[in-house]
Parts: sequence; structure tokens; C-alpha cells
Amino acid sequence: MILRKIFVNSAEAIVENKLRSALTMLGMIIGVMAVILLVSVGTGAKRYITSEFESLGTNVILIQPGKTDKKNSMGPPVSSSKGKLTLSDVDALQKNAQSLSAVSGVMFGAGVVKNESATNNINILGSNDQFNRIFNMTLIEGSYFSKEDEDSGRRVAVLGYAIKENLFGSATALGKLVKVNESEHRIIGIIKPTGDKLGFNVDDMVFIPTKSSLRLFNTDKLFGIRASAKSKSGIDDAVKEITAILKDRHNGEEDFTIITQVTMMESMNTILNMLTYALAAIAFISMLVGGIGIMNIMLVSVTERTREIGIRRAVGARRSDILKQFLIEAVVISVSGGLIGIALSMLITYTLFAFLPGFDMRPPFWILPPSFFLSLTTGVVFGVWPARKAALIQTIDALRYE
Amino acid sequence: MALIELQNIHKHFIMGEEDIHALNDVNIKIYEGEFTSIVGTSGSGKSTLMNIIGLLDLPGEGNYLLDGINTTTMTDDELSEYRNQKIGFVFQSFNLLPKASALKNVEMPMQYASTYNKNLDDMKIRQMALETLNKVGLLERVHHLPNELSGGQRQRVAIARALVNSPKLILADEPTGALDSKTSEEIINLFRELNSQGVTVVIVTHDNNVANRCKRVLRMSDGKIIEDSKGAE
Repeated sequence: MILRKIFVNSAEAIVENKLRSALTMLGMIIGVMAVILLVSVGTGAKRYITSEFESLGTNVILIQPGKTDKKNSMGPPVSSSKGKLTLSDVDALQKNAQSLSAVSGVMFGAGVVKNESATNNINILGSNDQFNRIFNMTLIEGSYFSKEDEDSGRRVAVLGYAIKENLFGSATALGKLVKVNESEHRIIGIIKPTGDKLGFNVDDMVFIPTKSSLRLFNTDKLFGIRASAKSKSGIDDAVKEITAILKDRHNGEEDFTIITQVTMMESMNTILNMLTYALAAIAFISMLVGGIGIMNIMLVSVTERTREIGIRRAVGARRSDILKQFLIEAVVISVSGGLIGIALSMLITYTLFAFLPGFDMRPPFWILPPSFFLSLTTGVVFGVWPARKAALIQTIDALRYE
Repeated sequence: MALIELQNIHKHFIMGEEDIHALNDVNIKIYEGEFTSIVGTSGSGKSTLMNIIGLLDLPGEGNYLLDGINTTTMTDDELSEYRNQKIGFVFQSFNLLPKASALKNVEMPMQYASTYNKNLDDMKIRQMALETLNKVGLLERVHHLPNELSGGQRQRVAIARALVNSPKLILADEPTGALDSKTSEEIINLFRELNSQGVTVVIVTHDNNVANRCKRVLRMSDGKIIEDSKGAE
């Protein structure tokens, strides 16, 4: 029989059993939706984190004291016994590293900031006049530290927006004094509210010059150095240059770790890819379940229609005609389910995106052809056995089947 | 040349421990245009014989020539083609597709026939199905499902389905077994009418009244033809 007619027959058989076909399809719909939505979650998360990284400043280089040999890690433990970066390392990099546009030593610690009206437990970040350029920080009032502020270790502070709000409300803060760990600092700038970036919330931080912070924490050992390369393509050269300069200063020993956007992204991507694969595996299992559902129903259908098979064989259907009929029926169910699943997942993700633009889970288009073919393949794989069973039924037995 | 020629046909079945010799050296010749009944009690082997004549089952031994061609060496696909092109079946329990209309039931054999005859497009199939349903007097009921039809009407649909590919042979297995006597009479008359138009008809039955309405009666017992006679009428 001509394939087109078998298709028509299959479609008719599916319509004749509306509820059952719909339920079988549902398994497939859920399977395909799971594939698309989970992959979308994976790629959406990746896209989000990538953009977060990039918003930090694309050419950022992190230099941490200490060294681990592990590749692709996020750097050494925060407090390292070995290796020490100091302000003179920062000076050396500023003077000698041609490939860098900005260098700042950073000091990081917990502290208390207070004025007459309020007390806040906050993070204190010590940095120099170039720090705001490295991380693309914008101020809404005043200005960031000047070179003089840094060089003479002035007691000045730049406040995150949330802290300014807590301490001063809507009143002017610029020029006022606050106590940072019992030491009075004058407010010279307020940072534009930025929100959470990779676990750091600039709004909840107090920035003071590096020198002041070292004095505050009573140490000469920096938390680390932050720098930015002149161009994104120049990052590799910058890393080489930094390594050379610092090694030279540290008696030839590489007791520091350099982390770039690239290495950070790589390690993040490793994690995110793993996440995507894990999600894909879960999705694959749901396809498997959908496929088994199809096989199950097709086997029931073959048994139920044994007599029909006998009649068709008696009037001249070949085994291959019967095989095709049941196989195509399975494929029509699975492919319809697949297409509905694709349509539904697009509808869901695009609707979500329309109402919550920050929640971008729109599926990447490359996932659509594979999910279509996955539903097709599932139909074929799980339809073959029932169809073969149907084709091999003996005609005389089938005609007598009650 | 005979349309059906059975030569030394044997068929055994193993039922549990027992070896049943369902057909024991059967030799029959049936010529085109004949109206034959095969009659016998249940267990006489007539159903087995019908299955073999209808190419639904293969003989254990012997040769079966249908329309001059030996069918015992045919492949399954060739047997399917022969069933489709040369034989029309009518069953006791009608064996219509319950969810398909009378028209669709009659169209079905032609859909399979379209493999061999490329001229059979949808239009042609529909037209021929309607013509055939008209021939059996069911033109008004073509869109009815089998369960919306009476027993006699269902059997007419089945006969239309058997006729639609213009087979040389109509093979009917207890065609009146599920019908009352008045309807049975109508169905037998329909067969007689078809036979008068040149179709070869073989009816398998245990009912002597039906058998006697045929031109030739083959009586079976214990897997053998024990009598070959003319019908009573």
C-alpha cells in the first residue's frame, strides 16, 4: 500500500482512540518539553553568569598570593600562608607593566561603619585610585579616591549606596564623617546602586584607600592585586608581563596565582556544562519514559486489534504493510507529541520572558531540530517491536481471535 | 484448466499429545464459474481446507494450484498478493473493521491492491467501492458503521468487500451462520446472482440446506472428500 494511505490510516486510528492517543502523546510532550526546558535552564544560567562576569569588566586580572598547582581552579584559598603581595608590588606593576591600564592593591575585611544615627556591619574594601576603572564602577555623587588620597593614606571613604541610605537616609552624606572601625573617615563619594554581582554586593561595601585599610587591619600583606589589561586580546601578554615582574621581585619564585576572566569563565563553564549535561540526562530519561509509554500502548493496541490485523492480512496486506501501519502510528504519535512539546516550551519560555525580561530561559534554536529528531527516533525505536509483533501474527489465528 | 486444483493435500496438527490428521489426501478440481459448497460436520477438516484454498494456511504435503500456478512454493508476500487479487473472503462473523464505515471497509482491499495497480487512485477506489456497495443493495448505508447495520446488511458489506477487487474466487466460510433463515436466503440468493454473473463461489458450511442450494456439493468427513455430487436444486 502506498505510504500516504498508511499515514491516513494511522491518523484515523489515532483519532478513533482519542483519549488513549492523547495520553500517550502526553508522555512524549512532557519528554520533549523536559529536554528543551532543561537545556534552556542550562544555557540560560550560562548566559546569565557570562554576562555577569563581563559586566565586572572584561579585561580584569586577579592576582592572589600563594600558588596551587591545580588547573582551572578558582585560585588558591583566600588566606595563604605562602607568598605575600605588598604595595611595592603594586607600584612595580604600575611603573613597569606596559600592557596594564590600571593596577590596584586590594584589602578586604569585615568591619563596622557608624555615625550618630546608625551602626552597620559591613565589608571594607581597601583599594587605590585606579580600582574604579578596573571594575567599571560609577559614582552618583562625589568622586573616587585621588592619587594623593592613596599615597598619603588619607582617612576618606566611598560608600555603597545601601550604606549611605542606612546611615543618612535621604540627607546629604558627601563631606560628612563616619567611623570605620572607630577611625573617622570623610565621605568623598557614593557609588551608584548596582545590586548583587556574583555574590559581591557593592552597595553594602565601604571603600577606603589601600594604605588606610592596611593601617586599619594592621598588616602590610595585601589581600590581592586587581589589574586590567589594556585590551581583551592583550590579556595573555599582560599575564606574562605580570608573572615576569612579580617573579623577579619575589626572588624568582612564583608564589602567586593569576586569574583572568578567561580562566574564571573556563572554570565556570566546566561547572555549567556539567549542569547542562546533568539536565540533559534527566531530560533523556523522561524521553525514555515517554518512549516506553508509546511501546506499552502500541503493544496493547496490537493485541486489541489482532482481529483487524487478521482481516487486513486476509484481504491482501503484506507483513510489511502491517509493520508500516503500526510503526507509522507510533511515529505519528511521538512526532505529534514532539511538535506539541516544542510549541509548548516555546510558548512557556517566551511568555515568561515577556513578563520577566530578567528571567531569560528562551531555548537556543539549535535544540529544536535535535528535539524533533529525538521524538522521531523515540517513535521508531519504541514502535518497531510492537509493529514487528503485529506483522508476525498468524492470519488464521488473528481471524479467530476474540 | 481448473481454477482450483488440490493434489494430494495433507495437513497435520499437533494438539497437545494428539496428532490430528485434519486433511488426508484431498484431491479436488474446481473450474471457473462453478458454485460449490464444501459441507461437513465440525472436525471434518472443512475449515482447514478452506484456509488452504484461501491461502491463509499452507498444506503439509501436496500441491495447490490456483489459477494454474503452484502456490505451495510462494513467499508470504506473493500469497498476500494472490489473496488480494484472486480471492474474496466472506466470514461467518463478518469480520468488518468496527470503527470504519461500510464504505471504508469496502475500500480497504483496494488500498492494498494499489500496490499492484498504480491506476487505483483515491477517486477510483471511492467510485468502485460505491459501485460495489450498490451492487449488493447498500448504497443508502455507505457511511454507517458496522454496528449501525443489521446482520444481513453487514454480510452484504463483507460481500462487497470480497467482490471489490474483482477476484476470480469468492470463498465464504459459514456465510449464513450468524443470520436468521430469511436473511440467509437473501445472502444465498446474492451468491447465486454473483455466480450467474461468472464469479466462482465456494461456500464452506455445515448446513445441508445451504449446501443444497449450490450446484456442486463436496461432502467431507475425517479429512477426506467422501462425496462429490450435484446440489439438490
